[in-house]
Amino acid sequence: MVYSRRPPSGARAGFVRRRDFLKRSLLMGAAASSSGALLSLLASHDEAQSQSSTPVRGGTFVAVGHQEVPTLSPGKAVGNVPLFIMYQLYDGLVDVDENFEVQPALAESWEISDDGLTYTFKLRKGVLFHDGVEMTSEDVKYTYEFYGDPESGSTISGQAADIESIDTPDPYTVVFTLSQPNATFLRITATNYYIVPKHYHEEVGEEVFETRPIGTGAFKLKEWRPAEFTELEAFDDHFRGRPNIDILRQEIVPEASVRAIAMETGQADTMTWPPLIEDNLRFAADTENFTTFVSSSLSVNHFPLNNNHPILSDKRVRQAMMYAFDRPRQINDVQQGAATLATSNLSPSLVQWFEAMVTTYDYNPAKAEELLEEAGWTMGSDGIREKDGQKLTFTCTTITGDQARRPQAEILQQQLLAVGIDMQLSEAPITAIQTGLRNNTVDASLFNWNYGGTNGDPDAPTTLPSDGRSNWSNFANARVDELLKLGRQEVDPERRAEYYREIQRIVADEVPFLFVMYWDWFNIFSSRIKGLPKSALAGDFIYKKLHEIWIEA
Amino acid sequence: MGRYLIARLFQGILVVLLISLITFIIVRLIPGDPVDLLLGEGQVPITEAQVEAIRRQWGLDRPLWEQYLTWMGKMLTGNFGTSIIRTGVPVNRMIWEAVPVTALLNLLALGIAIAVAIPAGIIAGARRNSWFDYLLTGGSTLGIALPNFWLGLMLIVVFGVMLRWLPPFGLRSWQGYILPVVVLATEQMAMLARVMRGAMIEILNQDYIKTARSKGLSDRAILFGHAVPNALLPVVTVIGFRIAFLLSGTIIIESVFALPGIGRLLYDSVFRLDYQVAQAIVMVLSILVVVVNLLTDLTYAAIDPRLRLLARSR
Repeated sequence: MVYSRRPPSGARAGFVRRRDFLKRSLLMGAAASSSGALLSLLASHDEAQSQSSTPVRGGTFVAVGHQEVPTLSPGKAVGNVPLFIMYQLYDGLVDVDENFEVQPALAESWEISDDGLTYTFKLRKGVLFHDGVEMTSEDVKYTYEFYGDPESGSTISGQAADIESIDTPDPYTVVFTLSQPNATFLRITATNYYIVPKHYHEEVGEEVFETRPIGTGAFKLKEWRPAEFTELEAFDDHFRGRPNIDILRQEIVPEASVRAIAMETGQADTMTWPPLIEDNLRFAADTENFTTFVSSSLSVNHFPLNNNHPILSDKRVRQAMMYAFDRPRQINDVQQGAATLATSNLSPSLVQWFEAMVTTYDYNPAKAEELLEEAGWTMGSDGIREKDGQKLTFTCTTITGDQARRPQAEILQQQLLAVGIDMQLSEAPITAIQTGLRNNTVDASLFNWNYGGTNGDPDAPTTLPSDGRSNWSNFANARVDELLKLGRQEVDPERRAEYYREIQRIVADEVPFLFVMYWDWFNIFSSRIKGLPKSALAGDFIYKKLHEIWIEA
Repeated sequence: MGRYLIARLFQGILVVLLISLITFIIVRLIPGDPVDLLLGEGQVPITEAQVEAIRRQWGLDRPLWEQYLTWMGKMLTGNFGTSIIRTGVPVNRMIWEAVPVTALLNLLALGIAIAVAIPAGIIAGARRNSWFDYLLTGGSTLGIALPNFWLGLMLIVVFGVMLRWLPPFGLRSWQGYILPVVVLATEQMAMLARVMRGAMIEILNQDYIKTARSKGLSDRAILFGHAVPNALLPVVTVIGFRIAFLLSGTIIIESVFALPGIGRLLYDSVFRLDYQVAQAIVMVLSILVVVVNLLTDLTYAAIDPRLRLLARSR
């Protein structure tokens, strides 16, 4: 079977329309997928949408997620399941939509000064909070000052670090002055800071607010049981208009198979955390009962390699591992074709930033052996290479009980052995692995992680810089550090893209980690749900549009 | 008896203290940093000041001994602190919300198990090698051997998906209790029935039963006058044991059926390094075990004359 799921050549320039791009990559994916089920997904789902009539009011929309919603504070919620609720309760100044486009939200327009230091937002008039009070610039200022203060314990304060001052010349204007240009300001900061009402938050304090929140969102809180469900109801005075559905509920169902059962029995309309790949493919093939959006995950499925490890610090060894590694086979065998081959640190769905012209690593064991010889590793009598009496061996620690990914490590182990590399396997919980990589007690691992692309922005402030908090491979490259800094400060998108393309070329060449694939991300809806977007590059952001959907009677 | 009581009480307190220390150490030995979990995976700028502030907020910057003493001090006043992950929610409230779910689940299961297993065990023991005995022995072996997550999933598929009689998950109505209770009851029923049957067989071979029979007592009188009351003793021990573990042991079932009980809370808190919650649950469970053990011992002393004498002679 021929595997070809490379991004289309035109993707880089951004002149391929998103829909075409998605359709094309879907078709290619279908050709590679063993089930061949994805073939007509987009087409059929277009038809379904065009047939749908006028919106109907009423009904309950049920989502099922896997983890509890521990807080309703917009300054602390992380992870898909809590964020699903945030999308409904709150709005930011701007928003990033399901196709990674920046859209107005509470701000109806904005201006950026030429030096990139001043952002002036014009607020929409007449936006009401759930308690009926109008939202003004004072609320915006308060929100940024409260959650931007590290002492608040918020998880988003770092995003406001560049803000020097916030001015509110009138109730509908907010002016941010930055200490240095920050190209991520709109997509990251202005999108992630959800505005809370000053009068209420100040009165009750954060501890009460995070259990009884008030926002401007299309839905307001009805009942919250962190480990069980969160129930929201339509907010009649929402500035975009009252949502069609009356009740929106997210149930917490830890077991993947039980979530799939909930979909199957019609007890759930969508899953905010996907079940097993087999179930995803089955639902995707059943176009009569389900509407499926397939997008590419932003997190890369990868083997972090500790670059501080004496053996793994040699670039030739890392490159040799890439050549010895039949990645398309993993996509087909382990992921059933539902993935895109990774070429570097960014997903091809980030069409604006993606770099296609990088060093590629087609499966080539001979080339791997050549590189290892060049690096001084000669074949030992036991089939394991050695140098200066030292064996070419290291340990890959996978996540305890990770049934989905563990087979990947087992396949890689055999392929590396074929070229004389001995990769031992062990298991540990994810938190232990991450601490171990930081402390150099873990050599290598296997999990998915984001190396840029959050909200469609290419910055990777924690995973790629040499001092990054989540730089799991301990990758240290002075040029990458410099490029990241330049990229964050460059406000012109075209020039900015050049920096991130160079980063991708360096990552592809340096192989700080073995990048394998970007999983297909499935967002599946019951077919009774109408008014969904036509297509999505960021499937989870469809959940930002639930005020538009309706339930077919 | 008074001295015995005081000695046992003192013993209990010592055990609880020891457990608190061990729990505290073990929870912190789980490698990893809760701050990582708080910050999530998204690619957004994170500053050192931010990480330190979060650490300070949860007292994670203090030396371990100080953290332990703070925790113990609070606990003596009945306050288990606040959850790190469920930011700021009192641990006491989280436990109080989860306890009724697990307790009800287990009490219902145990009640059903007792009601079914004891008569069944008596009949099987009394009619050894009958078809009923074979059925019970076979059935209970199966009931113990079946992994309960598998049984749970199968019941969901049959009653939740195929027949659609019962909700496949959650506790939105009382019917949500049915399937998990059946799964739990199956396991306990199997165990209790085996213990009951075994005890019956053993008692029925005792000399005093033979004596009773040679006295000319009817089978019925032997069975209910002599055999059953004596055979019940080991069964009561097992039931007492189950009650001590009333709040644990349902971790898997609570996950399968998405029930917000104490088992799932413990599981989640360990995996998310929510130290305060994990510690508190282990403490509550162990205090419960210590108390139940104490009560069991005292009850024995009250019931069994031999133990009473032993206690007095001390």
